[in-house]
Formats: sequence, structure tokens, C-alpha cells
Amino acid sequence: MVRNIVVLGGNSHPALVDSVCNALSLPPCNRILTKFSSGESRCEIQDSVRGKDVYIIQTGFGGNGSRLNDHFMDLCIMISACKTGSARRVTAVLPLFPYSRQPDLPYNKAGAPLFKAGSESGKKDYTFDSVPATPAPGIPKTAGLTNGTDITSKLLKTSLTNGNGVQSPIKQNGDGYFPANGVNGTTTPSPVTRTGAYTTHDYENLSHIGAFQAKPGYKQWVAQAGTLVANLLNCAGADHVITMDLHDPQVQGFFDVPVDNLYGRPLLKRYIQQHIPNYKDAVIISPDAGGAKRATAIADSMGVDFALIHKERRPTKITDRQNASMMLVGDVRDRICILVDDLLDTGNTITRAAKLCKKEGATKIYALLTHGVFSGDAINRVQASAIDKVVVTNSVPQDKHKALLGPKLDVLDISPIFAEAIRRVHHGESISVLFNHD
Amino acid sequence: MSAEMANEIKLISGRSHPELSDKIAKRLGIQVARTISLNYSNQETSFTVGESVRDEDVFIVQSTATGDVNEGLMELLIMISACRTASCYDKKDKSRAPISARLVANMLQTAGANHIVTVDLHASQIQGFFSVPVDNLYAEPSFLRYIRENFNPEDCVIVSPDAGGAKRATSIADHLNTAFALIHKERPRPNVVGRMVLVGNVEDKVAILVDDMADTCGTLVKAAAVLKENGAKSVLALVTHGILSGNAIETLNGSVLTALVVTNTVPLGDKVQRCPKLRVIDISPTVAEAIRRTHNGESVSYLFTHAPV
Repeated sequence: MVRNIVVLGGNSHPALVDSVCNALSLPPCNRILTKFSSGESRCEIQDSVRGKDVYIIQTGFGGNGSRLNDHFMDLCIMISACKTGSARRVTAVLPLFPYSRQPDLPYNKAGAPLFKAGSESGKKDYTFDSVPATPAPGIPKTAGLTNGTDITSKLLKTSLTNGNGVQSPIKQNGDGYFPANGVNGTTTPSPVTRTGAYTTHDYENLSHIGAFQAKPGYKQWVAQAGTLVANLLNCAGADHVITMDLHDPQVQGFFDVPVDNLYGRPLLKRYIQQHIPNYKDAVIISPDAGGAKRATAIADSMGVDFALIHKERRPTKITDRQNASMMLVGDVRDRICILVDDLLDTGNTITRAAKLCKKEGATKIYALLTHGVFSGDAINRVQASAIDKVVVTNSVPQDKHKALLGPKLDVLDISPIFAEAIRRVHHGESISVLFNHD
Repeated sequence: MSAEMANEIKLISGRSHPELSDKIAKRLGIQVARTISLNYSNQETSFTVGESVRDEDVFIVQSTATGDVNEGLMELLIMISACRTASCYDKKDKSRAPISARLVANMLQTAGANHIVTVDLHASQIQGFFSVPVDNLYAEPSFLRYIRENFNPEDCVIVSPDAGGAKRATSIADHLNTAFALIHKERPRPNVVGRMVLVGNVEDKVAILVDDMADTCGTLVKAAAVLKENGAKSVLALVTHGILSGNAIETLNGSVLTALVVTNTVPLGDKVQRCPKLRVIDISPTVAEAIRRTHNGESVSYLFTHAPV
């Protein structure tokens, strides 16, 4: 029982709040957190927080009928309410930090820039081995498949191999795509092929794009919300922020208050040691260059080989073969592959990486990720992919994902790490032990 | 190119109320700036500016769509901050401040708003939360004109449905030189609404209820019933913000109110079709005029008493 401490949970992840409270042997703070019928958030803290050390747990996850932005506003309102209620210190605990990825060009799921320069649009005709054209006015689309002939699958089999066999998804009518497996030696039959057009990003949806077209010659300015989110948390009154595996550790620099970035790495490492047979002979792979540091850290500490998939996500010139530049650096033939990354969002990166590993001769593919958001059609994509096992933590609610993916998904519990971090921060002890223990 | 030309009005529209933005833009004779805002599949909001806002006067129009207040607010904050980082010189926006007003006020400033233009704040003290200028516009001049155009002020009584709105209602009554009445809600215990008592005479008059916000419409409809019982010829309501959440439309349709007049500060969607009693006054001329005057550094106070033609 830790004294003078209040753990307050948002609506985004009640299960995690409960298990953190369990680990600290305290009851969660009583609160009312709903919405008025007008849609404004209603927050009442029913326990006294005067002079207490308050920890507010809210993860950056929207889904299962709740909205990400609602959760974020709720968090700000809760922080502000505790501050007004004379809390001694308010700590925001965000297992998954929202808006931590900051693209400076709008990207679609295939990693291609979303908008072409105005002058280029409409010049080229669509071909099937080009990347999906930007869904914007003036850019040609594929003809609708209204006559019932299965032309798409024929084309898939014939003309989709680019440079090293990694295909770009095929776009159909601007709002759907076919997961292109069953081609190039990947034999997993796709259970989801042609089951309607499920969307991935709003970008794919023409109705969301409207008549948007940047002025010719102007580089579009995409909002970089990370700094804003940090400022807003500061502004609401957070005295301390605890989060886990920030996509960019630099985000810590946006804050004026201390940020403790916990690592999910020890958990992932323990999983590898305990659940992967002959892990010493496996290869740890980073699916993109940005995550190389994360993957090498694990590989080095266990003395396991390392490989890297290099993915060109930032084409300097827009060509229609930009997806051909995905390549594997390292040898994976006849070995177990362990893909390590921080975030699974739409699952595009990780499934493409898995496909490449399979093609290069990997025997079994594990994917270990700290945050499993599974947004858009990620579940279907992972289900249909070459990945044999996906391992994520419960930094966001995983019940639904587990139900859908079944034995393919393993969930690691992070509540002990957060409970321990909260206990140590409360007592003013060092939490660096949490960073490197095994 | 003169110095004034270099500094133009850029109007950016949030997703909550594009119709209002279009009307304001039309009024100002400009085009809404090319931007796109959308949600990633993980629901994070993304906003892209499609043209230069460097050194421009940027005005962002965002209202609060029913049920999606937080989405709208977050989008607004991101838009402000985006334009800020894109080096724009000045920034104003219009939004209706919700309950946690203090926090929202701080957030808007944190995001980088230099100036807030809003319509009929629920409590004008909220202006004090901001350290940037707040222009709180009033729908009152538009309401006055509506009453003058549609009724003979002699036959009307202006009624405030609760004591808090008395000032707003008396101000209208004074301008029209008509009688005024007040409905007092007795609260025997907290959360229990007791009887409603009418203070004033409404017999054989057109009773006009005036309030700033119509949410579930429960109070309005009850007040209308009280007025009818007290002999009012007909009852209508003039409300600035028609949020009309929950089953407000059904409540209205079954009420004794002859009409509910709202402004288009909040998107109404299909509510006009679903409720024959709903009338809409266009507020965009007032807002457009305020934007123009702010941009040119003219006085805005004229708009507090006059509706632009």
C-alpha cells in the first residue's frame, strides 16, 4: 500500500488501470468521466486529491467505439481538475503517447507521398506496376470492376513484381485494395481477398479529400502535432509525464517537465528468451532504418545476429517505382526471423518486412512490437501475412485484437513496469533500474 | 505590390462547419484556403496547409458539431499550431467556449491563438480567462431585426427562461421598448427542478423566450408551457446556439412553441428538415464583418449593436 497517492484512470484502458492499481494495492480513484449530450466532456473527481500525488493513466488509443481525441481532451481536463483540486503533483501516464509520429509529408500506407505536385497530376496514365495514384481530383483512377471479370487477380499474377518482389498494394476505385499475397512464392492463402473494400486511412477515401489541391509550387505544411500535444499537457498542468517507447525519443525535449520514457525492451527480450526455441540462432531484424538502434540493442544484449530492412520512405523525386527500394541487409536464409519495432499501426511496414524475409528464405517469422494499435485493416493484413506470431504489449487494449487474431497474437503485460515506475517516482527513487533490468 | 496586399486575410475552415466558413468567405469576397484535415486510421488528426500563410492574417473558423466537441477542438488546436509553425503573422478564430472554459482558453493560447472572435459566450467572464483579445460578438442585433421584421414589438413580451439570462433578455426588451418577464425556477433540493414561476404579465401577447443556448430544450419547452398557461397568445424562442442534442427535435416538435429561431453558429444538418418549427438566422455577415474589421484594425464594437446589412 503506497500512501498519499491517487491513481486516476481515463476511459481508454480501464483494464490497465485496474492491474496497475492492483500492483500498487490501491483502489482506483472514483470519478465520473462521461460526456454531456452536447458532446462536451464531463469530469468529476469524487475522491479528495488535496495534497496527493496524482497519477492519471490514459493511453493514446481510439477504437472500440471511443475516440482518440476525446481521450486526450479527457486527460487534459482531468489534469486540470486535479490541479484545481490542489493536488500536490499531477503525473500524466501515457503508455502510448498520442501524436508521437510526425510525418512531414503526407504519406499513404504504401509509404508514398500522398500528394503529387499539382503540375504532375494527371499526366501519367495508371499502370498496374506503379504505386497507387494519389486519390485526388485530376488523377486517373483504375476502371471500376463492374463486369465481374476477375481481371485484378490476373494482373496481380503477371505484372506486379517490381525490383525485388515486394509488391505495392493494388488500388481499386480509390477506396480499397487487395492484399497481394499468394504471389511471389508466398503461399499463405488470403482469407480476406476481395471481401469488400475496407479502408485504411482517410487518405484513401475520396470523399475526405474533397477538392483539396495545394497551390502549385507550394510545399504543403503538414501539422506537426507532437509539440502541440506536449504544450497542451504542460498547459493543463502536468508536472511529470511517464510514457513508454516513444517513437521519437526527441519528443521528450518538447516538454518543460520531466519525461520518463520507459522501455518495453526487457519484456520483449524476456519473451524471446523464454518462448522462441534456439533463439541464439535467430536473426533480429529491424523493419526500417529508424528502428535499427532499438533492434541492435536487443540483438547485442543477447548476442544474436542482426539484420536490417531498408525502406525508402522519403523519395526525393517522385517516381512510380519508389516501392521497389525495400531491401534486406543481412542473411536470414533457413533461420528464425524476429522483427522488432515500436509500433504496429496499419501493419503495412511489418507485413511487408515479413514478406521480404519469407522470400529471402526465413523459416519462421516473429514480430515483436511494443504498441499494437492495429488500426484500419491491420488485423486482416496481419492475418494474411507471412508472420507466424505477433507479440505486443497491452499499452493499448488488446482484448478485441486477441479475439480476432487468436493464437497468432501474444500479449505481454506492462502493468508491473508502470506500477513500479509510479511507485519509484512517488518515492523519489531512481527508475533507471527499470531501463536495463532483464 | 503595396504593403497591404502582402498581408491578406486567409480563411481556414475546420471540418465542423464548412457551410458557415463558405458563407463568411463569400461575404469577404475571398476563397477558403486550401487545406485538408483528416484522421489517420489510428484516429490522430492530421492537418495540411496547401498554400502559404507566411505573414498572413489567418482566421480559422471552427464550430462545435454536436457530439464531436473534442474532435473539433483538437482539430482547431492543431490548425492553430500548424499555422503558427508556418510563420503566419496573426491568428484569430471563432469557437464557442465549452464548460472547461478556463482550460480551453489556456489551450487555445498555448496553441498560438492571438485573438479570439466568438459569438455569445455563455458567461462573458470567460473573456477574462484569455490574455489575448477576445471579441465576443452578439447575435442580439440579428435577433432584434428578426423581431422587428416579423412582429409588431408592441404585441411582444421578452421572456428570460432563467434568472441568469435576465440581462440578455432585458437588453433586447429595452431596445424594442417592450415589456419583459422572467421565469423563475424553484429548486427545492439540488438536481430537482421544482415549479416554474412566471414573474410578469404575458396575457394575450406574443411571448419571446430569449436564451444563449438550446441543448436538450427541456427548459425552453417547460417555460413555453408555463407561458401558454399564463395566457400567452403564442410562444417562440430566440436562441443563439442551437446545439439541439439528444432528442431535442422530438421535444420541440411536441411542444407548444410555435417557432425556435437559432443562428447557424452550430451546424444544424438535417435538423431543419426534421423540425418544421426551426428557423435559422445567418450569422455569417456579423462574423465576416468582425474579421474584416479586425484585419483592418477598425472598431468591432459597432457590431455589438448593429447587424450588418
